[in-house]
Amino acid sequence: MAVVPMTKIHVIGHRNQVDPVLGLLQELHVVHLVDVTHDPDVHLPPLTVDEPRLAELQELRFLRARIDSLLALVADPPEPLTVAGRVDLHSLRRELETDGPEIERLVQELDALSAEQETLPLHINSLARLLPLLPEVAATSGYETAALLIDSRFPAVLGELNAELAELIGANFEIISDRVDPDTLGAVLVFPRGRSEEVLGLLGRERLSRVRLPPRFDGMAFHEAIAAMERRLSELPAEVETTRTAIDAHVRTHQNWATASRQLTDRLSQLDAVRLLGATPRSFVICGWVPAPRLDEVNAALAERTGGSVLLIEGAPAESDTPPVLLDNPAPARPFEFFMRLLSVPAYGGLDPTLLMMVFMPLFIGMMLGDIGYGSVLLALAVVVGRRYATRPGVVRDLSRMLLLASGWSIVWGVIYGELLGDLGNRLVGLEPIWINREEALRPLLVFSLGVGAAHVVLGLLLGIWVAARAANRGQLAERSALLVAMVGMFLIVGAAADRLPAGFVTPGVAAVIVGLAVMMATGGAMGLLMGPLGLLGAVGNVLSYLRIAAIGLASVFLARVANELGATGPLWLGIVVAALFHTLNLALGTFSPTIQALRLHYVEFFSKFYEEGGEEYRPFGGTDHTDSLAAADFG
Amino acid sequence: MEDGLLAIGAGIAVGLAALATGYAQAKIGSAGVGAITEKPELSGRIILLIAIPETLVILGFAVAAMILVLLGE
Repeated sequence: MAVVPMTKIHVIGHRNQVDPVLGLLQELHVVHLVDVTHDPDVHLPPLTVDEPRLAELQELRFLRARIDSLLALVADPPEPLTVAGRVDLHSLRRELETDGPEIERLVQELDALSAEQETLPLHINSLARLLPLLPEVAATSGYETAALLIDSRFPAVLGELNAELAELIGANFEIISDRVDPDTLGAVLVFPRGRSEEVLGLLGRERLSRVRLPPRFDGMAFHEAIAAMERRLSELPAEVETTRTAIDAHVRTHQNWATASRQLTDRLSQLDAVRLLGATPRSFVICGWVPAPRLDEVNAALAERTGGSVLLIEGAPAESDTPPVLLDNPAPARPFEFFMRLLSVPAYGGLDPTLLMMVFMPLFIGMMLGDIGYGSVLLALAVVVGRRYATRPGVVRDLSRMLLLASGWSIVWGVIYGELLGDLGNRLVGLEPIWINREEALRPLLVFSLGVGAAHVVLGLLLGIWVAARAANRGQLAERSALLVAMVGMFLIVGAAADRLPAGFVTPGVAAVIVGLAVMMATGGAMGLLMGPLGLLGAVGNVLSYLRIAAIGLASVFLARVANELGATGPLWLGIVVAALFHTLNLALGTFSPTIQALRLHYVEFFSKFYEEGGEEYRPFGGTDHTDSLAAADFG
Repeated sequence: MEDGLLAIGAGIAVGLAALATGYAQAKIGSAGVGAITEKPELSGRIILLIAIPETLVILGFAVAAMILVLLGE
């Protein structure tokens, strides 16, 4: 539950050491670099990127783009090697010049073969539909044929074509047409070979498309073309395989390209970082932040690698400085950092509520879902997904770990509510609730939800008071304390009105509300008269908002009951199928909705009492995870 | 008869509130998706904004529960 303290550092050295020092910092992957123009302590101009570096930038960007574009062409690009040694840029350039065009040619060839595999069956289909229309005369050598497809909504086109052809070449032609499918009329035009140019010029008008065959089949008779295309189609798989093998063979010989791409990326990020540095005519200054516990590591590495010629100075943070925020939570709470980042990183020096989210979020989801059956299914799912993603950090793993806790709580609350797939547990094995039967005891459920809300909001206010006291912010301290006093007064009044507390609590309750409101109005300045009462109303609304724990839970209970009722009608097998479908739907809804609602209760109702957001996330300057980096010396 | 009227009243309380919530969420949701397209880092904030109108239906639920629990006794 902590934000790691950061130390401001300035690294100063001779300008000829810029590259090795940046390389070392990249290797260490621990320094969050700051633009020198944003550092109030350093009044130096930024280091200008000189001609050789600009040329290097240009060349490296070109090489990386070339490699990435070639690797993108390959279906299964090689993985970067973890221990590869530095890539030799000269031989890389040579390889790209010689083998790049060959790989591109092979990929284009593969694309053409694939396209052929897709289009040939379409041509065969078109011609096969038109073949029955072909008259005997077409076989005579003095005649040529043209296949036409016409949108069946415009059959008059054929009449127009007939008239225009008669005008053009007289009666020496024939058109045979028939419907080839519901939307298309097929037509075969037979005309003297000598009039080919005039006739083909006439074709190609709107709503009339000539069937054009691929060049290699052009000029063949229909039946010959179909036979040739079928032969070609049977040859294609072998050609595709051969081309693929050739591409794979080329790529396998260049496994270093993926590694080179990473090394180029790292060197490029070094060159980009140069712009952040400050400079005098002979020296450079790197401004940045290091997590305080790792400062010695950076110091020792710099001293060892540069022989003490580069200086690391700890700086005192200025008031206008915004140190980056690195969260440090115990392993079980880390998945919940994802939910924090969804909103915003806490401000530096503020409270990191990740641990509190780990405690309350699964608890609230469990309260809403509250079913032994659903909880068990969710637990199994979370375990399976968690195992599959155990070594792959990311959103899925974080969600599975959160659901693991939520499913545990769901089982616990299922026992308390006496629910196993809704009322199925009660029907089959006589499962009874330990405390609340959600189907019947609406009032206790509502009071319980409000109680949870009151406790959570009061905890938020207490944290808010602590944060304000720690920051010595008197205004916030007074305002939050007054709100807490007014809320306690409200609780006393409500408790007495509901006969849960003696009537004598009304007077101190009213007094607390008046005092709390007065202080809130006084601390709010000119707008305090309005904002004070609104603040109290808002806090009461926040508590009421926890009624969603009861509402969402009730919806889940009654959906489960509907599933069981439907399952009980009709034959047993049908009942099981229907009930399973409805329970699956309910489980999906019962997982998604409580998660969103629990998030909302935290973001809106809880965090608004103490959370200060707006921190800048700690992003250490580092490279990709390989062992060797390129250096300036490799270039040229 | 009286129970029926109470049930109708409770239904109207929660139903109208749900319609209002749905309307507000539709407006916020469509604008939110547009915002996320341009700035994916706003996802959390948009979820929060979409969830805010749900207070309406929760209050509708509270009124419906009061009708059924307090008046239905």
